[in-house]
Amino acid sequence: MCNRKKLLAVLASGALFASQAHAEDTIKIGVSQPLTGSVAAAGTYVTNGARLAADYLNANGGVLGKQIELVVEDNKSNPREAVNSAEKLILSNKVPVMMGAWGSTFTLATMPKLEEYGVPMVVETASSSKVTTSGNPWVFRISPTSKMEAQAFAEQLSAFQPAIKKVDFLSVNNDWGLGAATEFKAVFEAKGIEVGRSETMAPDATDLSAQLAAIKNSGSDTVIVTSGVEQLTLAIRQAAEQGIKQRIITTGGSFPEPLVKNPGPKGYVTTHLLFFSPWTAEQQAANPELAKAYMDAWNEKGYPFPGLTEGFRGFDGILTIAEAIRLAGKAEPEAIRDALWKVQVKGVNGDIAFHQEGPEGKESGQNKPNIYIVQLKDGEVSAL
Amino acid sequence: MDQFLQHIVNALVLGSTYALLGIGLTLIFGIMRVVNFAHGELYAFGAYVSYALVSLLGLNYFGSVLLAGMLGLLLGAAIEFLLLRRCKLENIDEVMLIMIGLMIIMQNAELLLWGGVAKVVPTPFAQESITIGGIYLSPTRLFVFCAAVVLLIAFYLIIERSRLGLAMRATFQDRDAAKIVGVNVGSIYTLTFALGSCMAAVTGALLAPVFVVAPTMGDLASLKAFAIVILGGLGNIPGAALGGFALAAIEEFGSGYISTAYRDALGFLAILIVMVIRPQGLFAIKERVG
Amino acid sequence: MNKIVFFVVVALLALLPVLWPDPYMLSVVSAAGIMIVAAISLNVLLGFTGQLSLGHAAFFGIGAYTSALLSLGFDVSLFGYLLVVDPKPVWVAFVSGILVAAAFGWLIGKLAFRVRGAYFVIVTICFAQVMRMVALNWVDLTEGPMALVSIPALTLWIPGEGVIKLVSKSATYWLVLAANVLAYLIVARLVLSRFGRAAIALRENETLAKSIGIPVTRYLIVFSVISAGIAGAAGGLYAHTVRIIDPEVFMFIYTITMVIMVIAGGKGTLAGPVIGGIIFGLLPELLRGVVAPEVQWMLYGALMVLLLLFMPKGIVPTFNGLVRRLRARLAREKTAAAPAKARGANA
Repeated sequence: MCNRKKLLAVLASGALFASQAHAEDTIKIGVSQPLTGSVAAAGTYVTNGARLAADYLNANGGVLGKQIELVVEDNKSNPREAVNSAEKLILSNKVPVMMGAWGSTFTLATMPKLEEYGVPMVVETASSSKVTTSGNPWVFRISPTSKMEAQAFAEQLSAFQPAIKKVDFLSVNNDWGLGAATEFKAVFEAKGIEVGRSETMAPDATDLSAQLAAIKNSGSDTVIVTSGVEQLTLAIRQAAEQGIKQRIITTGGSFPEPLVKNPGPKGYVTTHLLFFSPWTAEQQAANPELAKAYMDAWNEKGYPFPGLTEGFRGFDGILTIAEAIRLAGKAEPEAIRDALWKVQVKGVNGDIAFHQEGPEGKESGQNKPNIYIVQLKDGEVSAL
Repeated sequence: MDQFLQHIVNALVLGSTYALLGIGLTLIFGIMRVVNFAHGELYAFGAYVSYALVSLLGLNYFGSVLLAGMLGLLLGAAIEFLLLRRCKLENIDEVMLIMIGLMIIMQNAELLLWGGVAKVVPTPFAQESITIGGIYLSPTRLFVFCAAVVLLIAFYLIIERSRLGLAMRATFQDRDAAKIVGVNVGSIYTLTFALGSCMAAVTGALLAPVFVVAPTMGDLASLKAFAIVILGGLGNIPGAALGGFALAAIEEFGSGYISTAYRDALGFLAILIVMVIRPQGLFAIKERVG
Repeated sequence: MNKIVFFVVVALLALLPVLWPDPYMLSVVSAAGIMIVAAISLNVLLGFTGQLSLGHAAFFGIGAYTSALLSLGFDVSLFGYLLVVDPKPVWVAFVSGILVAAAFGWLIGKLAFRVRGAYFVIVTICFAQVMRMVALNWVDLTEGPMALVSIPALTLWIPGEGVIKLVSKSATYWLVLAANVLAYLIVARLVLSRFGRAAIALRENETLAKSIGIPVTRYLIVFSVISAGIAGAAGGLYAHTVRIIDPEVFMFIYTITMVIMVIAGGKGTLAGPVIGGIIFGLLPELLRGVVAPEVQWMLYGALMVLLLLFMPKGIVPTFNGLVRRLRARLAREKTAAAPAKARGANA
């Protein structure tokens, strides 16, 4: 099955090369993603999304009359390997621009190399504020920081009835989970909402019963949960099993997709902050046509459906880079970086444009993405 | 009070599965002196078998547990026959490293075959939990607990009451003497490794609908299994069963009342303390160390 | 003879950035070089005392964190007191990293040598795990999973140039090479010393060694301290060249990498970890892009199993054995030929 897919991919790329007069007339874009190791699943989704975007653009004539060629490197879910793959892409493959590197630590590890070699990178997933505030003018982030997400959520607080009065946190013990907890706490405190217990879970933990038993009697009405798809699924299922009465809200754009097919107890409702919601794309997405094109291409390739909520990051990242190359008029690092500031492009998440962040004179680019709130009940997803 | 009782219930359920995971590992170490780093991968193997049978082929969950156990038995026998027999188990470190190599191969084979995305196995039981007072327990977990207890007893009977168990215990105590009285040590090794692997695979299959099935699940299972086995004393079978419950209790109450962040650290800390104070394990009566 | 070979090899390696100034290649070799230093340190324990430590990444990580934290400065509240540490010069931090790692080596040596074999292995694994948990959860000190970033590079004072930062590819390469040469020489010196001879006696027959009055535990602790110190130096090199560290430096797979380098090359030989390190350090890079990432790992695992099954002594001893046998055969042929000639002369 897997082999056949690979064979098809080889054939497809062969056909692609055959249709071109000169194979070297491609524009290379480097992609550094975790394809093995602890976060391999998400990294693979983002890579899939990036490939779809390249196909989509190439089918429409490519950029500057040339085809786009993605050079994908595995950063093995590890900062040291992230540095290695960036050097491989920049020095060996000579890519003029990169997308990566999924997690904040991998991205932060890669960043000094961008400055060293003068190559811009579009950051598609990392949520740590350090990425854009450490004064690296080669970094352009399309994903939201946890702070932006918390602030966007604060604007929607009135949508929750009964009102949120006291919250607990259950966060995965990594930069993302802890960062989200810190930012959401700040927002809640500013709004006069009481903050109760803060529990963490190891990224690979599967049994969360102890954490949940501790949260159960804390007297809060809401639990903010931040983690990846697998752990969200486990947390929600085990919360339902243990009869947790609090309202569960998940952050960070992950969605416990397995619960759509295998829902928990009847009537159990959970709320999710997403950056793309394939279930409600028609009514919610900022650019419904593009979202549909992306979803159709995804399904056509037979990629797993749950990956849609992650894969769009790769799709948007490549669209952004291609637009910058078009504006630059040439595939050279410095020109692409200057052009990235001027990018105004429609993405699956919404319209992408960069504003300046970080120390003066060395600003990084940051996009302001859209956030969608959905509810899951009995395997049905609906917009809030 | 409710929270305390809930922790006890959780610890019992978790402990029963830990015990099941631990006894297979300790059996293999006790008899063969093999530190089986691939134990967690056999656990993952069982879970994937369950996923393939239940979610893809639509088979019954109970049947899938049985079949996972049988396949685990076969795989274990194959590993012993193809790998361990060749290196003659002379150097404990070398064997350990071979098992680590096997662990890397198996884990990445799972990733290649199934992808990194976690798989879900549907439960055959109702989703609504059973409640007594303020205590909640899902029917699936209750079943896992009962099954684990039955398996633990069955395992104990095999070791203590059967001829096979007798031969295993004889080999455990003195390999050469067992040989002299006519025990076929080679086939005892194969059976031991197969039985230990079978227990790991059954645990994986049993727990598949409770958790999710993912390629990295074996790492955590291996680490937990080691912790359990050391708490109980390496090679000590009743000790491993008790060690399973002890680790679950440490984790539950530690994270309930001390800190969730250090939940996993507490288990390792307990091991370091046990190693310093009672290296033969918490539940050992007497055993030589090292 | 051996000394000449050593100097020629080092000189050739030092010329590499001049002869083949490909920055990607240099960065890959430097990365492998850091792991080779770590492998050399592991060999001190595994090869010369026969103790398998599967928590060696702990010393690596302790060195990395100590050096990084001291060079960045930190403040942390401890039992109600606020401890503020200003950024220290980078070399002071680096040496402190070595010392702190060595101190932990002493502690673990003291604790762990109460238990041997499988027990020792598991104590070391647990030690590394506890260290990882501390790095992960003591966020005030270590920034936890948010990682320590912008770690300064090591510096060097060059006459006429002043103090320069060692950031360029060639500078990093030479730095790592120097660390390797130093680690190699220290271990070589150690093995030839009284301690080394005692340790080898110990490895071969502990009971006998004890009976002739070798204070076993003290010798083991000396080795443990030196081993941990060198591992700490490797960690410091890692921190100041990658310039970001997170709790992943304590990961089991790092220890596995070190162990397999030592085993493949030949434990208990000086050149073993270097040869094994070159193979297993460069293999992942050579496989990059050739096969799927999962398959790379599978090949890595398979190579490990095959080496252990068919060449359990490692490459260097096997090669030495071959050379010795070849020499012996040549010598036999010579001696066989000589009497024949003598007889011929007589006749």
